[in-house]
Amino acid sequence: MRSSLQAVTLWGIKAPPHSITAIMITDDQQTIVTGSQEGQLCLWNLSPELNISANELLFGHSASITCLARARDFSKQPYVVSAAENGEMCIWNVSNGQCVEKATLPYRHFAICYYHCSFRMTGEGWLLCCGEYQDVLIIDAKTLAVVHTFASSQSPDWIHCMCIVHSVRIQEDSLLVVSVTGELKVWDLSSSINSIQEKQDVYEKESKSLDSLNCQTIRFCPYTERLLLVVFSKCWKVYDYCDFSLLWTEASRSGVFFAGGEVLAAHRIIIWTEDGHSYIYQLLNSGLSKSIYPADGRVLKETIYPHLLCSTSVQENKEPSLPFVMGYMNERKEPFYKILFSGEISGRITLWHIPDVPVSKFDGSPREIPISTTWTLQDNFDKHHTMSQNITDHLSGFKDGSGTVVVTSSVYVPSLDKLICGCEDGRIFITQALNAAKAGLLENGSLLKDSFSQKVLKGHYQSVTSLLYPHGLSSKLDQSWMVSGDWDSCVILWDIFTEKVLHKFCLEAGPVTSLLMSPENFRLRGDQIICCVCSDHSVALLHLEGRSCLLQARKHLFPVRRIKWHPVENFLIVGCADDSVYIWEVETGTLERHETGERARIILNCCDDSQLPKPESVRPVASETHKLKIVEQRSSSSYQLGQIPSVGLQVETSCKVADAKCFSGPFSVLPVKTKWSSIGFHILLFDLENLVELLLPTPICDGDSSNSFYGSEILRRAKSTVEKKTLTLKRNKTACSPLSGETEVRPVIENPVQEDNAIKFTEENDGIKRHKKMKSSKNMHPKSSRKVDTNIMIDTAKLLLSCLLPWGLDKELDNLCIKHLNILKLQGPVSLGFASNEDHFSLKLPGWDLCNDDLKKDYTRVNLFSRKVLDLSNKYTAALPNQGGTSRGLENNCDSLQESNTIVYLLNRLFLVHKLVNMPLELASGTDSSFKMDSVHNKVKNPGNDILNISSFYDYLRNGKNESHVPVADLPFLKLISCWRDQSVQTMEAIQAVLLAEVREHLKTFRKMPVKSPVTSTLEQGNCELMQALPKMEDTEQLELQCVTNKPLQTPVSLVKHDSNSNSANFQDTEDMPDRCVLEESESPGKTRHHSWIVKVCSCRVC
Amino acid sequence: MATAMAATAAERAVLEEEFRWLLHDEVHAVLRQLQDILKEASLRFTLSGTEGPAKQENFILGSCGTDQVKGVLTLQGDALSQADVNLKIPRNNQLLHFAFREDKQWKLQQIQDARNHVSQAVYLLTNRDEGYQFRTGAEVLKLMDAVMLQLTRARNRLTTPATLTLPEIAASGLTRMFAPALPSDLLVNVYINLNKLCLTMYQLHPVQPNSSKNFRPAGGAVLHSPGAMFEWGSQRLEVSHVHKVECVIPWLNDALVFFTVSLQLCQQLKDKISVFSSYWSYRAF
Repeated sequence: MRSSLQAVTLWGIKAPPHSITAIMITDDQQTIVTGSQEGQLCLWNLSPELNISANELLFGHSASITCLARARDFSKQPYVVSAAENGEMCIWNVSNGQCVEKATLPYRHFAICYYHCSFRMTGEGWLLCCGEYQDVLIIDAKTLAVVHTFASSQSPDWIHCMCIVHSVRIQEDSLLVVSVTGELKVWDLSSSINSIQEKQDVYEKESKSLDSLNCQTIRFCPYTERLLLVVFSKCWKVYDYCDFSLLWTEASRSGVFFAGGEVLAAHRIIIWTEDGHSYIYQLLNSGLSKSIYPADGRVLKETIYPHLLCSTSVQENKEPSLPFVMGYMNERKEPFYKILFSGEISGRITLWHIPDVPVSKFDGSPREIPISTTWTLQDNFDKHHTMSQNITDHLSGFKDGSGTVVVTSSVYVPSLDKLICGCEDGRIFITQALNAAKAGLLENGSLLKDSFSQKVLKGHYQSVTSLLYPHGLSSKLDQSWMVSGDWDSCVILWDIFTEKVLHKFCLEAGPVTSLLMSPENFRLRGDQIICCVCSDHSVALLHLEGRSCLLQARKHLFPVRRIKWHPVENFLIVGCADDSVYIWEVETGTLERHETGERARIILNCCDDSQLPKPESVRPVASETHKLKIVEQRSSSSYQLGQIPSVGLQVETSCKVADAKCFSGPFSVLPVKTKWSSIGFHILLFDLENLVELLLPTPICDGDSSNSFYGSEILRRAKSTVEKKTLTLKRNKTACSPLSGETEVRPVIENPVQEDNAIKFTEENDGIKRHKKMKSSKNMHPKSSRKVDTNIMIDTAKLLLSCLLPWGLDKELDNLCIKHLNILKLQGPVSLGFASNEDHFSLKLPGWDLCNDDLKKDYTRVNLFSRKVLDLSNKYTAALPNQGGTSRGLENNCDSLQESNTIVYLLNRLFLVHKLVNMPLELASGTDSSFKMDSVHNKVKNPGNDILNISSFYDYLRNGKNESHVPVADLPFLKLISCWRDQSVQTMEAIQAVLLAEVREHLKTFRKMPVKSPVTSTLEQGNCELMQALPKMEDTEQLELQCVTNKPLQTPVSLVKHDSNSNSANFQDTEDMPDRCVLEESESPGKTRHHSWIVKVCSCRVC
Repeated sequence: MATAMAATAAERAVLEEEFRWLLHDEVHAVLRQLQDILKEASLRFTLSGTEGPAKQENFILGSCGTDQVKGVLTLQGDALSQADVNLKIPRNNQLLHFAFREDKQWKLQQIQDARNHVSQAVYLLTNRDEGYQFRTGAEVLKLMDAVMLQLTRARNRLTTPATLTLPEIAASGLTRMFAPALPSDLLVNVYINLNKLCLTMYQLHPVQPNSSKNFRPAGGAVLHSPGAMFEWGSQRLEVSHVHKVECVIPWLNDALVFFTVSLQLCQQLKDKISVFSSYWSYRAF
């Protein structure tokens, strides 16, 4: 997901599955963090009354999460580290869901401990990790690079659990670990920091076998500094820390497995089991040693025995689903609680408030501590069902008696703006995506229902499991074709325009899991072929033009993971989950070869080298295999890194959100499917940048405030591309580098007029890139597509504004917005999405708005991101000279003209804010090699002076290009926003605040003078009015241009025209473009673009 | 369409009954079988149950071709406890003999990792006996995925030995294990490949600085071929002879078979569950 994307999630009524595998509560007791088997993290708000509410879902991992841990001193930075099954590690800022750092290492961790020793250590501290490798790994908490290891001299083995012991008495930190074979080892921590930093080997201080297997937890009692609690799956033991002598062993009842434990207080411990029970014990001394503290540990040895005080258990009415992951949080400070928490594989979180002094009943029998809270994601969805809209909810005939029909597959066709949904009952709906989204999100959305152009295709009798729109992959294929596969392995070729079945293939195999298309260079009789993967592990090849099934490959014993094509030999190469490879000859349908093990791997990798593009929908998978490959390469390079992660769960592991990268155009719908379930949801993606570009079709002028950053943006992109390129090159040295180089430069393409300019690929899959590029070059019908766009663009923009605006703050303002901006009010708060980089992003969950305490009371407010927004917005209004509203408004009565102008202006502002808030990293880092200009460079080097930098940078751009004026009006704006950025205001907060302030400012004029002219911009008339307005826009544009040349730099929106400059700027643009074919339309940039705009408007008039 | 739906109503009832049976009975039968196989496999690694030190096994390593190198390796669980290696150098008919130092053991990390992966898999299954009730198909699938992941890793660990570069072999602790220290022109590596314990010896000679051959350091490989060059310290060295001897470890063979069988068993169970996927995905049982 690119960062300029604004995402809105339509969750539907079913929560996505979240099988908790790791859980922790942050130190401030305000957030619960869970990691799931599906690979997502979830942030839950924990209120002071111990109420839980899910806040956001973090995407970024492609495999099951194995552990979570604190990654910083929490009071300073609220960072949490997560590690996944496939070696990925991420550091997240849990206050805003941003991914701060990521890395993929060839290690799989069981547990991570954060360690920081402020007076001996520079940097942010260490993450001490143990897992499926020998000994303890030390990873830098800031960079996630491996620092060193704690090596063991005696019987090195995997470490299963560990704890850090801070002993006040001896002023020394130690690391205690237990290996999988039950070996206890101790390393000095604080005194070996120097040796570790000098990369010297540090061996264990002590090593002792504990004679039990499957150690789950080791804990040191900080209250007595004497006892050591070790929990094994079948027993728990208490040791004396001084000499590691065994004091007590308590075996579990049969069928009960201990999962962990913690020390509550001196001589008081809590032990929990895998099935969600916990027991609190008092460790009693016999009377003998109570008064005299024994100097000799052996005296103590006989004196300790446990007495059960309390117990907890999960709800009895619900069958528990194993295993539980539990934890205990001990906070001695006052406002905090002692909390026992558990997460289940079913996604349920349960909390127990443990009293400060747990006591048994009067008769001495254990007391049961009641559950304080229990919650699931689904509870959130049920409670806030107004927010859990689904894009398909409003399709007519969609609801039958028993409720809505479940959508089992969907695909979005950008070129037609159609969303195709296959349902459980076999029907396929085709609908206009933007309208469907509007109907789902906005109030009075039902009014729009009539305007739906909705089609229903009936032909399947079972749930539709897979859809493919071939034209989207290859323009050679007929635009009307659509292929769908169902649970009964029936594949239908449709004509979506006439709604007719063109052909029905009955494969007599398992449910169709995916439909893929062969790459451009793989053709049979001149046509590309469709590959249909079924869940009975068979693969069928379909020839659409010939309406024939070419090949059914049924020999595979394991699920098909990878499909590759060999165009020269005409082979289909099928990689299976057990790492075996089947090679089928396409023409004859015979199995050519079957290979396993090393040779299979070589064959698959070979195909990588020959640059065989992988089929489209395997892309996330492909990128993951790529990652795994890196891991393997690294791991194989050294004996110590000997973990070879299995290439196992590729298809399943990738929750296909990663697809977001390939998004093109200003609006798109991304269907997301989750692992192990058919529950899916849709994400609406708005490309702010693209939208602004499209709506501001005049050439980029340096005089315009927003566009002055444009240049820097190009540079920034160029830089990031270069970085990315080197990265890729580093990654696959063997891969064909010229090609990857060529394609990697693509993101630099910046052409404000191009429709398809967003075909900027950042994904690593070269093949697809090439694939797509070919497509884009052939698939240029700029004029025809532009014609449609103006309406859609404005509609898209309005929908985006509706989603971003905080509603219900002020009734009058709402009404004014509805009247004068012609945007609709939201039905409820929307679930926004935020990207931290290409493949890490967070999606808000229904009910996020009630997570913030201060917002809880006021239900009339909808969609306010946080209370801070209001303050920021007021500041914004105060800081800016009161010129914005008036100068912009051409105060005539033509509402819709003004309306669209305003919308463009608002979008522009938002985009600018977005850029500003996100820019500093580049500027502040000072590493930006693209900026060779000294004046900027020097200033950049003083950190903390960012405001100056920005403005000076801004100045520079102007002066450097012989622009004489600095827009006075924009300086305070820039200063303010940069100031916000320094105060780490979240992007969304900034955007919303600015939007609110601007809207207020803008509508103030209307508020002063009551609207005289009848408000014509009602819903029904909205569209046609817009059309009428469009011709006028041509005039106004020119008019605007004229008036602007008279008094330049008056308003930010004013389109200052300096022909020479704009030309040069555009020339730069074209130079940046490696791919000429994309340019087709705009040979002489400045004028033609303008011209094409007029042409477009004219054509609009015709329709 | 209406008749089709009516027919499926009766069908659905049957299918649901069948699925209930699958979840409540069949899954447990398969898991029991799986557990038995894996227990058997982990016994091969002398893992669970057996207290005290693992028993020692001697393996005589040889190759079918020449008998220049002979080795007797003693395997104790996952560690090489003793090694006797004889190298006959035909050039001067010299017989070199090396043995491990008494106090040293060499961990075969591949065996250790495979063993640990198996025990993880066994542990995943331990508390899913008849007493435990699976409620959804997805739950079974997740369990199977986790088990299969461990088994695949265990198998891959044995089937894919680490590819090491020559400097890495030279730096490895194994070279320092021998009692008469290895001469500087000899390198030793020990690894597992499938079911075989393999010992490779590389005889080295320095690359003449003025030789016509251009120096190109060899990359990582399981088995380097004569002519591979590398830089060690300040010296440039070239492999002159490679000797590889190996011996089948019977229990590793068994373990690999067990891995394959249990992987197939897991997959079959997954397939059975998937048949009902369109039913269980929307309704819990």
